[in-house]
Amino acid sequence: MSFPQNTGHAAPFPRLSILLHWVMAALIIVMLFVGLFMAHNSTVHYASLFTLHRTVGFLLLLLVIVRLINRFTNHTPPLPNDLPAPMKLAAHLSHILLYGFMLALPLVGWAMLSAGGYPITLWGGCHIPSLMGFHPHLWGELRCLHSLLAYGLILLILAHIGAALLHGIIRRDGIMGSMLGR
Amino acid sequence: MAHSPRKGSPARWAAVVLPPLCLGGLMAWTAGVFSPAAISPSHFMQRFQKAGALDRGFRRAHAKGMCATGWFDPTPEGRALSRSGIFKGEHLPVMGRFSLAPPLPYLPDNPAAARSLAMQIRSSTGDDWRMALVDAPLQVMRDIADAFAFFKTARLDPATNKPDPAAIRAYAAQRPWLKTAFEQAKSHKQASDLTNDTYNSLDSFILTDEAGKKTPVRWAAVAQEPFSPAEGSSANDKNYLFKRLVQTLDQRPLRWDIVATIAREGDPINDPSQPWDEADQKVTVGTVTFTKAYSEDESPCGPMVFDPTILPDGISTSDDPLLALRSSVYMKSYATRSAEHKTPSMVTPGDITHPTLTPDGKGQ
Ligand code: HEM
Ligand code: HEM
Ligand code: HEM
Repeated sequence: MSFPQNTGHAAPFPRLSILLHWVMAALIIVMLFVGLFMAHNSTVHYASLFTLHRTVGFLLLLLVIVRLINRFTNHTPPLPNDLPAPMKLAAHLSHILLYGFMLALPLVGWAMLSAGGYPITLWGGCHIPSLMGFHPHLWGELRCLHSLLAYGLILLILAHIGAALLHGIIRRDGIMGSMLGR
Repeated sequence: MAHSPRKGSPARWAAVVLPPLCLGGLMAWTAGVFSPAAISPSHFMQRFQKAGALDRGFRRAHAKGMCATGWFDPTPEGRALSRSGIFKGEHLPVMGRFSLAPPLPYLPDNPAAARSLAMQIRSSTGDDWRMALVDAPLQVMRDIADAFAFFKTARLDPATNKPDPAAIRAYAAQRPWLKTAFEQAKSHKQASDLTNDTYNSLDSFILTDEAGKKTPVRWAAVAQEPFSPAEGSSANDKNYLFKRLVQTLDQRPLRWDIVATIAREGDPINDPSQPWDEADQKVTVGTVTFTKAYSEDESPCGPMVFDPTILPDGISTSDDPLLALRSSVYMKSYATRSAEHKTPSMVTPGDITHPTLTPDGKGQ
């Protein structure tokens, strides 16, 4: 498939990829707000927010696994041919990083609470097994890593949204449409 | 060229740049970047720091402590109140930590400091019950705003290296709802030792039985040792309370009854500053027996967090706003201290093996 001269058209992503992209985008943005709020504000509903954070975090871990399987088995449209090479590279690198952060954040969350000796219970009472024994020093390091990863993901997402809008509004090269199913 | 990047109008560029900027700004706002006065775990940490907490691996509150291990034996009355695996009848391991409440890890033992007992009881089926109890009769704060203001009064005056008594008086005077709590604190008779002291949860919890019936309770660990009052600062030894605890444990096990005070109609469940009816039923749900002492530098209870919201099925938090607050602030303290390099605790392993008191010429 190629759309040599005709701008404004790139092949769309498969439906499942699009669905996963937008559902996860919404959930991740909610998770970032919930995480930031509960870690920096002591006044409102800490316990419920934390339960929500754990539950949606594990849901996202499942979703990212499904998404990675889909990424490697389902077809992914190529970026437009006329996209300059450095932009292509930036796009690919940033997508790899986004996947990496999406996978690492819930895993680090799980590992840190396990190392800290916290039982992990999800909304509805489901218990998640601990990944390891009691390692308080590791808990301290992983808790810090969870924040750093979250801040990194925030920067990546902001750049990613900016890039998507650049493609959609300034370049109008069809990349935005490829994730909107057009 | 098919299409080089078009020179967009400023409006188009704004549509590219503003959404991510706004989202980023909103996230920064959520993280409290623009509200430095907000009540947050890090601001609690700052208040503890000003009250003498050290960034050398110690808890930001209840910093001086010592560990003990032993057993928990539940009673049938406990089993009737809660379906938790803790009360099924098994003899369960307990890890405890005795501490002085101030944020000062090198505070010399003295009769004035509040004392505390934290415990973790675990069942073979994975139930995990953590408690953090103090020997005060009532909490001198009723909500999050009170807690934030209260810890401000604990700030050490650089001139005297002690909290300013005027600050706590002003705190109390501005809060008529804490009148009873302060009166009871004043008339509270301090015990001579850690061994014969009674420690309270102050916050309320909800027990759920097999049939789903809920019972709101407050906990107390009531010493089986007879009470005797503290008389002045009798001992010369800076660790006399902890050493006397070790000496006693070397001679015999020490027991505390875990007593649930059951709320009646009208007892405030969500306000630890208010007393409950004197005539409330008290039920002993089990007994903790401590047999062995450890320095916190050689026991997992040292690094451990005794977050009172870590509870097994069958015990849950009440809607007391201080419980959720404690969970978030303990986590912050726990994460911060766990990543620090810890200096030795004041109660050393040597104090455990040789709990000999420094003589003070008064027959001690
Ligand atoms: C809310 C605003 C968002 C917009 C407008 C947006 C837009 C897009 C667009 C247009 C693409 C297609 C790029 C291409 O053709 O290769 C894309 C891909 C992608 N997006 Fe987003 N996105 C958003 C949020 C997110 C979030 C929050 C994440 C996750 C953290 C994310 C992760 C990804 C990934 C990993 C890809 C690469 C897909 C692949 O090639 O496998 N996006 N996004
Ligand atoms: C995609 C998944 C996740 C995202 C995007 C995320 C994001 C965040 C963010 C932004 C914070 C605040 C960090 C700070 O400012 O210090 C945070 C804190 C936290 N997260 Fe996550 N997280 C995720 C998954 C998880 C999971 C699965 C768990 C646990 C099972 C978890 C446990 C925590 C904990 C314990 C905190 C600290 C809360 C506090 O300090 O009070 N997270 N997370
Ligand atoms: C009902 C009221 C409270 C009781 C009975 C209580 C009791 C205790 C006890 C016994 C400990 C020592 C635990 C141990 O040995 O590890 C402790 C630790 C601590 N308390 Fe409280 N506390 C209460 C309220 C609060 C409040 C309102 C705050 C502040 C918001 C607070 C902040 C802390 C902190 C920061 C620690 C150290 C946590 C750690 O690093 O593990 N406490 N508390």
